[in-house]
Amino acid sequence: MTPRIQPDNHVPVYLQIVEHVRSAIAAGVYRPGEALPSLRVLATDLKVNPNTVQRAYDELDRQGLIESRRGVGIFVAKRGARSARGRAEESIHAAFAQAIGSAHAAGLSSDQIRELFDDSLEEVLAESGGRA
Amino acid sequence: MTPNDSGGPAVELIGVSKQYDRATVLDNLTLTIPRGTTLGLIGPNGAGKSTTIKILMGMLAPTAGQVRVLGIDVARDPASMKRRVGYVPERHDIYPWMTVGEVIDFTRAFYETWDESFSCDMLGVFELDRRKKVKQLSKGMLVKLGLLLAVSHHPELLILDEPTTGLDPIVHEEFLDGVLRTICQSPCTVLFSSHNLGDIRRLADSVCILRNGKIIVKRGLDDLLASTKRVRAVLADGHLPRWEPEGTLWQQVQRREWLLTIDGFSADIAERIKAENAVESVEVFDLSLAEMFRDYIKGE
Repeated sequence: MTPRIQPDNHVPVYLQIVEHVRSAIAAGVYRPGEALPSLRVLATDLKVNPNTVQRAYDELDRQGLIESRRGVGIFVAKRGARSARGRAEESIHAAFAQAIGSAHAAGLSSDQIRELFDDSLEEVLAESGGRA
Repeated sequence: MTPNDSGGPAVELIGVSKQYDRATVLDNLTLTIPRGTTLGLIGPNGAGKSTTIKILMGMLAPTAGQVRVLGIDVARDPASMKRRVGYVPERHDIYPWMTVGEVIDFTRAFYETWDESFSCDMLGVFELDRRKKVKQLSKGMLVKLGLLLAVSHHPELLILDEPTTGLDPIVHEEFLDGVLRTICQSPCTVLFSSHNLGDIRRLADSVCILRNGKIIVKRGLDDLLASTKRVRAVLADGHLPRWEPEGTLWQQVQRREWLLTIDGFSADIAERIKAENAVESVEVFDLSLAEMFRDYIKGE
């Protein structure tokens, strides 16, 4: 896995690891039933405390993305890939909610917010060469 | 690990003070580090970080208070404590005239629990040459040798005093790697002091901020980051702040902008700031550990 921990970011490091593993599962780097890196490997790879990796794996287990089998290892859950993509939508939803919150605090109306959203969508799609 | 002390905390300081002549360097410090956790000790230069560490290692006697490390009273039995602790001092004291190999062989003799195969692994990871003289080693190589010597006996407690200060990025990463290999190899409590807040984020479960010999915060790192927020309120024309929330660490008013850093922040606090003050808007921002650290230090 590519090391992607940003120690300056205010997001707790364990959640950064959750996101990192989740995106790897969603992208198909690890498929359902396959083993994930051990605590030790991921901790030294990402240069973070193994306690923090354990917390991240506990959280992924709770979300149903992975299964840890005592003494054997940690595996992507059967429905892990689908839930991982669901989680992607969830985190994007949270990002939208935050942006809408700031727009609201700045005194923008719902119509103005929608207009800004449409503008941004068009801009991004134009840049990436996609179609609206 | 002896069975009678394995359940207690790895480190216990109770009411520890240290005075030099009339200057108070540590002022009634009480601090506990549970086993298997990592504590990052941060604070400005002269806050008392190194003094705290030297007292833990039995190198300085406290003026008052009790110090227990791995259940051992440090004042009574420093030798048996040191056999179970690994220590990387701020300035190394490795004999310059020895070769790397000689230093390793010499140090091994002090520890029954020395793990030669782990030591050899670390030698390889750190690309240290056994034949080289210590005085010919670069700063980075010396620091890595210091860590190898401190961890090859599988210490139950590892104490690092500003270990990564002045290291280049490659050696810095190798050093972190060495610490993590140690923690992963066998359960180990870690106490490290650092000015590198990135290292604190990566390694620490909890942080302790020292200032002028006093602990101003000791908290789980994620809890600290989640509960400390920056608020920006825009004051109505001609008005000054009237009500300031409890837990305000730092604040500043410039023109209409009122900035506050608040410990123990909740949505209710934002509502009350709005209700109790003549403000046009209130916004809440997350803080990085560096910004938070600065506000704790400036605010006290």
